[in-house]
Amino acid sequence: MISLASYLVISLILFAAGLTVMIARKNLVAILLGIELILNAAALNFVAYSRYVTNNLDGHIFSLFIIVIAAAEAAVGLAIVIRFFQIKETVHVDEATQLRN
Amino acid sequence: MFIQILFGLSALLTIGCAIAVAVTKNIMHSCVFLLGSLIGIAGLYATLGADFVAVTQIMVYVGGVVILMLFAVMLTGGKDYVSKAQNLLGLAPNMGNKWTYTIGLLVSLVFILTNVKLVSSVIKANPAKTFGNEFPSTVNQLGHLLVKDHVLAFELSSVLLLGALVGAAIIARPRKQ
Repeated sequence: MISLASYLVISLILFAAGLTVMIARKNLVAILLGIELILNAAALNFVAYSRYVTNNLDGHIFSLFIIVIAAAEAAVGLAIVIRFFQIKETVHVDEATQLRN
Repeated sequence: MFIQILFGLSALLTIGCAIAVAVTKNIMHSCVFLLGSLIGIAGLYATLGADFVAVTQIMVYVGGVVILMLFAVMLTGGKDYVSKAQNLLGLAPNMGNKWTYTIGLLVSLVFILTNVKLVSSVIKANPAKTFGNEFPSTVNQLGHLLVKDHVLAFELSSVLLLGALVGAAIIARPRKQ
């Protein structure tokens, strides 16, 4: 049967891929992609533990709230990125050095 | 047996697409690979018996977040600023020199060993159970949990979503010249 460890290994690989994206890429939108991968790794761990360890549905609830917060974060983050692009005409992360103008 | 096949396919899709997100040069392709990875994660939720979470994952991420990401990529030009210099492995751009790789390898080794030590006791205490092929629906229980035990977080998340909506609209509004 499928064990808990296989889900944890998949989650580890997702987390590593998300961290690599966040470090390696210089585009602000790509950094948000990495954040989505990391949040999904955490949510997968919650559901796997709630299936194999606690046998109740609290992990599912937590995973749902992670999805909600990821959606809100993506909306606000992309709004900031688009605003940044309107001001600076670029989305390179190293250009983001000032809080105003 | 069906569960194992679904698990294998979903795991392959998830891991392959996640690595493709990390190594592909084109930001647009990266978004589409993220889509595949999120669908794979929904399949993994289905193998865990979390039907409502799987459907929510597909609706929110595949229907909402990735489309938003694609719009943002198209609105901002989609440049990826790949550095011309080749590094070790030749995979990801801007990843540093050999010292970066050495220190990263050491840190990740310590990280993985610590976590394996921590998690192994949990894994040993919970061996692979034999679940049947029938999965009871979790929607009913989740609804009761959301409006009984977790009602404060449920209501606060609606406030958070309203704040995010208004904030995104205010931040991204056209500039007055």
